[in-house]
Amino acid sequence: MSETVSISLTINGAEHALTLSPERTLLDVLREDVRATGTRRGCDEGSCGACTVLVEGLPVLSCLSLAVTLPGRAITTIEGVRNGPELHPVQQALVRHGAVQCGFCMSGIVLAAKVLLEQNPSPSVDEVRQALGSNVCRCSGYTRVVEAIASVGGRP
Amino acid sequence: MRYAEPESVEAALLALNAHEDARCLAGGASLVAMMNAGRIAPGMLVSLHRIPELFTITEASDGIWLGAMCTHRTVAADTRLGGAMEVVRGAARQLAHPAIRNMATLGGSIGLADPRTELPVALVAASALAEVAGAHGRRAVPVESLFVDSHRTSLQRGEFVTRVFLPRGATGAVGHHLRFSRVAADYPTVSVSLVLDMEGDTCQQVRVVVGSCAPVPLHLDAADQRLIGTRLEAEDVAEAGGLLAQAAAPIDDVRGSAEYRRMLIPRLLGRALSQARERAHV
Amino acid sequence: MSDDVRPEPAPRPVGEVLGQSVPKPDAREKVTGRAVYTEDLCVPGMLHGALLGSPHPHARILSYDTSRARALPGVRAVLTAEDLPAHDIGPAIKDQPVLARGKVRYAGEPVAAVAAVDLPTARRALGLIDIQYEVLPAVFDAEEALRPDAPVLHAPRGPGHPNAASYIRLVEGTPDSVWARCHVVVEDVYETPAQQHIYLEPCSTLAEVDPDSGKITLHTSTQSGFRVQAVTAEALGVPMSRVRVLVPRVGGAFGGKVESTNQPITAALAMAAGAPVRLTFSRTDDMKMMRSRHGARIFMRTGATRDGRILARQVRIHFDTGAYADDGPFVANIGSYFARGPYRIPHVDVQCWCVYTNKLRAGAFRGFGNPQIHFASEVQVDRLAEALGMDPIELRLRNALETGEKWLGGAPVESGTLRACLERARDVSDWARRRERTPTAPGKQRGIGVAAVSHVSGLLGSSATVRLNEDGTVTVNTGAVDTGQGSDVALTQVAAGALGLSMEQLNFSRPDTDTSPYDWCSGGTRTTFTVGRVITQACEQVRVQLFAHASALLQRPVRRLELRPGGFVGVRDEPGTSVSFAAIAGRALYVEGGPIIASARYLYPAWQLDTNRTQVEGLPFMGNGFFVFAAQVAEVEVDELTGHVEVLEAWSVHDVGRVINPAATEGQVQGGFVQGLGYALTEELVWNEGQLVNPTMGDYKVPGVLDVPVALHAVLLEQPFGPGPFGAKGVGEVGLVGVAPAICNAIRHATGAQVRQLPATAERVLRALMERD
Ligand SMILES: Cc1cc2nc3c(=O)[nH]c(=O)nc-3n(C[C@H](O)[C@H](O)[C@H](O)COP(=O)(O)OP(=O)(O)OC[C@H]3O[C@@H](n4cnc5c(N)ncnc54)[C@H](O)[C@@H]3O)c2cc1C
Ligand code: FES
Ligand code: FES
Repeated sequence: MSETVSISLTINGAEHALTLSPERTLLDVLREDVRATGTRRGCDEGSCGACTVLVEGLPVLSCLSLAVTLPGRAITTIEGVRNGPELHPVQQALVRHGAVQCGFCMSGIVLAAKVLLEQNPSPSVDEVRQALGSNVCRCSGYTRVVEAIASVGGRP
Repeated sequence: MRYAEPESVEAALLALNAHEDARCLAGGASLVAMMNAGRIAPGMLVSLHRIPELFTITEASDGIWLGAMCTHRTVAADTRLGGAMEVVRGAARQLAHPAIRNMATLGGSIGLADPRTELPVALVAASALAEVAGAHGRRAVPVESLFVDSHRTSLQRGEFVTRVFLPRGATGAVGHHLRFSRVAADYPTVSVSLVLDMEGDTCQQVRVVVGSCAPVPLHLDAADQRLIGTRLEAEDVAEAGGLLAQAAAPIDDVRGSAEYRRMLIPRLLGRALSQARERAHV
Repeated sequence: MSDDVRPEPAPRPVGEVLGQSVPKPDAREKVTGRAVYTEDLCVPGMLHGALLGSPHPHARILSYDTSRARALPGVRAVLTAEDLPAHDIGPAIKDQPVLARGKVRYAGEPVAAVAAVDLPTARRALGLIDIQYEVLPAVFDAEEALRPDAPVLHAPRGPGHPNAASYIRLVEGTPDSVWARCHVVVEDVYETPAQQHIYLEPCSTLAEVDPDSGKITLHTSTQSGFRVQAVTAEALGVPMSRVRVLVPRVGGAFGGKVESTNQPITAALAMAAGAPVRLTFSRTDDMKMMRSRHGARIFMRTGATRDGRILARQVRIHFDTGAYADDGPFVANIGSYFARGPYRIPHVDVQCWCVYTNKLRAGAFRGFGNPQIHFASEVQVDRLAEALGMDPIELRLRNALETGEKWLGGAPVESGTLRACLERARDVSDWARRRERTPTAPGKQRGIGVAAVSHVSGLLGSSATVRLNEDGTVTVNTGAVDTGQGSDVALTQVAAGALGLSMEQLNFSRPDTDTSPYDWCSGGTRTTFTVGRVITQACEQVRVQLFAHASALLQRPVRRLELRPGGFVGVRDEPGTSVSFAAIAGRALYVEGGPIIASARYLYPAWQLDTNRTQVEGLPFMGNGFFVFAAQVAEVEVDELTGHVEVLEAWSVHDVGRVINPAATEGQVQGGFVQGLGYALTEELVWNEGQLVNPTMGDYKVPGVLDVPVALHAVLLEQPFGPGPFGAKGVGEVGLVGVAPAICNAIRHATGAQVRQLPATAERVLRALMERD
């Protein structure tokens, strides 16, 4: 049996005190302990991007991150993207462009795109594609997703 | 499973020696994936992420020291890694996909010693040294000497890599990394890393390393020698590539058959060399 | 029986909603992470389920020992076939046990199930189950499985080889006698892979059992609550009146969630444990245990006269259905039925076998038999064009079936718009210019290729109810599941267009087998078409009821009434005279007539194959539906050093009849195209001695954003016709069907390399390049 560790995680600005065994991934902890289920599990091995979260502002895969390593680091999940009733511009664009199909990839895509636009407010189509390189979408063919995100920065 | 996060290299060494089955944890990208799949269940993990020195980058006159915990993203973004060192930067910039590059580290790539990966290939091409910390202090060894087999390094139990030295190499030398994969976000089917130094149209010095074609990065002196002193004509490249293909011991897998990988070696070598030469000219 | 009143489908939609890219109602919750998929549900006392897969591809089960697993603290139920009713299930052939019984027929086949307090405990318990097997000889190739001495998977069901799940033969004309009259004849063997759906959400079910009534409630990721209800009831031997199915958001399906997934076993675990159980597959379990597209080997020979008239075709298809028939025989029906292609070929001989092998079952997947046969047919037509020295589009146009002509088997083509699709594809892709080989980077070659595509929309039954609320708004209820394709929004728009309402005035209910009218499934290019049709039918009945009331209220004859946007009945040529739906509802509810409600049902009439024209064996009728057409063009760049193929740009031209929601429709086309691109270039399940080699998303590669063309043009033609709503035709699957042949034809055009086996991996293309040289 594993030992357990008591930690506190900063998720979307709020502190969460948790007692966990150290092999638990951030994805498990978000979904099961914190009950923030917007972070999705598609593969558990770093190949789909559905579980993307931000750690200190960078997209990482929560399925490959052990929760015990993360105290003191700012974790942002899809639940933390929206500020009040307004959608984030990336979210608005995805909705407006009809880019959303089954939606299972969307949490990861929104977070990856949000970071891109923070670093590069007017990305080219190619830069958008590069930034989404970790995120599999099985439904859309990516066309509308890329168009939507590029439109936020003013490029068509 | 037990867990420790020491704050110094010395404390990490103690922790690693405290448990039979202790492993260090870097970015976790591969380690956690293997744990999720039930392929490994380490008795103890020693996280290296609270040891400040492992994150530092120091410039020396003859090269650059990169901390073992530098992520691929950090390496890819460091514009000081020019010339011969560019081969490592190029590999770090292209490998896997962005989120993996944000997580996975230099030290983890060495410790993993996965023949599917390419960062080790680039490090060997760059003639990189690894500083290894162990019970008897620290020593610097060629990275090449660490890779002994698929998923096996020559690191002793309790040892780990603290930093990596990339030599600047000859002035005018260029490093170049070429990967070929089924889709962008895949391990390479074959990769070629090289450092090339041209004097006019003549190859002065070259170091070619091939990835995903043997249990360890494939480097063959004879192949380098076949190219040195030539004008890198098609025939020279084909013969050097042939030597490498002969020496290769690739596996059949979903990325390609062993035979296909062998066929690709000379072909990609030719492309990598000409791309490197183009780069040398700009 | 369908409703015999065939309402004249509203010729023109009322109001502006139909044809707009109305945002999907669920898009906001999906981009904010609020959307609830099955795995997000959690109920008090819930246990976690996990399944143990067989280590052998074919073995007799000698004994089970589950005692150690049962003894593990936290384990609440352990099941094997011995604990379940000895029923087999399956849509075409009842050959599948819920857990392997007596023997296992593929590696990974579920043999035991556990429910425990948490997932790690459940998984640990699986490791403690001891099963003794006697390994049996196995067979992994469909043609080998038909040899007399091949290992047999299932008890024989009749004459014929026991490994043949189905056999079809269709003959028209006298092919044997006309080959001599053909000036060119080409023949080849084509192979297509077992592609997997890789819906991003692995299969998941939450089962609850009411302790008093015994009623099972399932929340599950499926394309059809009603199929799940029927199959679970059948498998567990309970009446359907004791099974309720609800469908949370579904994270993609593409055919993989048409039939049951893990619902029956999850329900059985919940019954055994006396507690709710949630069972979500890991990606690897999903890949090893669920289903794939049928791999196929197709021999095809086609002959034509010098002037480009295709005269004869012979086809032999082997579909590998794996260990269980699942939807295989239906897939084989479609494959055979489309083997002549959308062409006027007088002499045809088609033979098709659907064959058991010791591999993962194959079932429904977007395109349903058509991607396989289109690959063979459309690549072969290009070879024919080459042999004839004709332009590939020209040859297709010359042979394309037109409206009124007959399909293989005699069914009429009611709206033969292939010509229009091909001509438009030729224009928009600038075909003539790009056929002149464009120069490119050294070591690379560019080319362009086309495929003509035909498919059906329709398939099986649907029903809907439409009901007027007291305030004049309307509630539409169908059993249709939106798996992401946007049917909820499109169907709401159909109702809006039929009654002249705004989106806000419509309530579209989510499926619940307790309250929704029946729908077979969201799949098979059918939802908008078939469910859309029943909605327009029901709306038409509601309109009749509305007009009866309005006539009384407005003192005008019914024939002078009209619907007006916003929920009003007005009088033609009297702009000021109207009555609101709310007023009518008030009258109906409290004064006269009773609530306004209508229901409608539809089953696309089955087509009896014309035996005067066609010699038929094994396929007496097709219940498939309405023919739809498309043309797909791809421009590629081939790296001659490695064989790697990059798709630079693509055009997918579809006659959709009428566009209901352009964004959703284009999204379907683009998404289908990219799945087709994966099928064409990278996706393939690989087995070694019956063991799946690549059951992870790291090894089985679907296209990422960097692997698809930036410009992927969905071109929608509107030629409204037929029984669909406002003349709409289905499009859901079609976008995938012609991609692989279009790409392989482009590879051939670029380099002369002929790829006969999908996926056209870099390695296969390089070998084809070397064969060429
Ligand atoms: C989905 C995926 C795709 C990938 N694709 C590619 C690719 O295309 N090309 C490529 O080159 N690589 C690829 N990688 C590998 C990646 O680049 C890293 O090599 C790998 O993830 C290990 O780095 P890490 O920091 O995550 O190490 P961890 O996973 O934390 O550790 C890996 C191993 O190294 C050991 N270790 C960690 N740090 C040290 C140290 N300082 N000294 C000694 N041993 C140490 C650990 O004990 C462990 O055994 C991929 C990885 C994943 C998960
Ligand atoms: S679940 Fe983490 S990358 Fe797929
Ligand atoms: S919308 Fe379904 S995976 Fe992207």
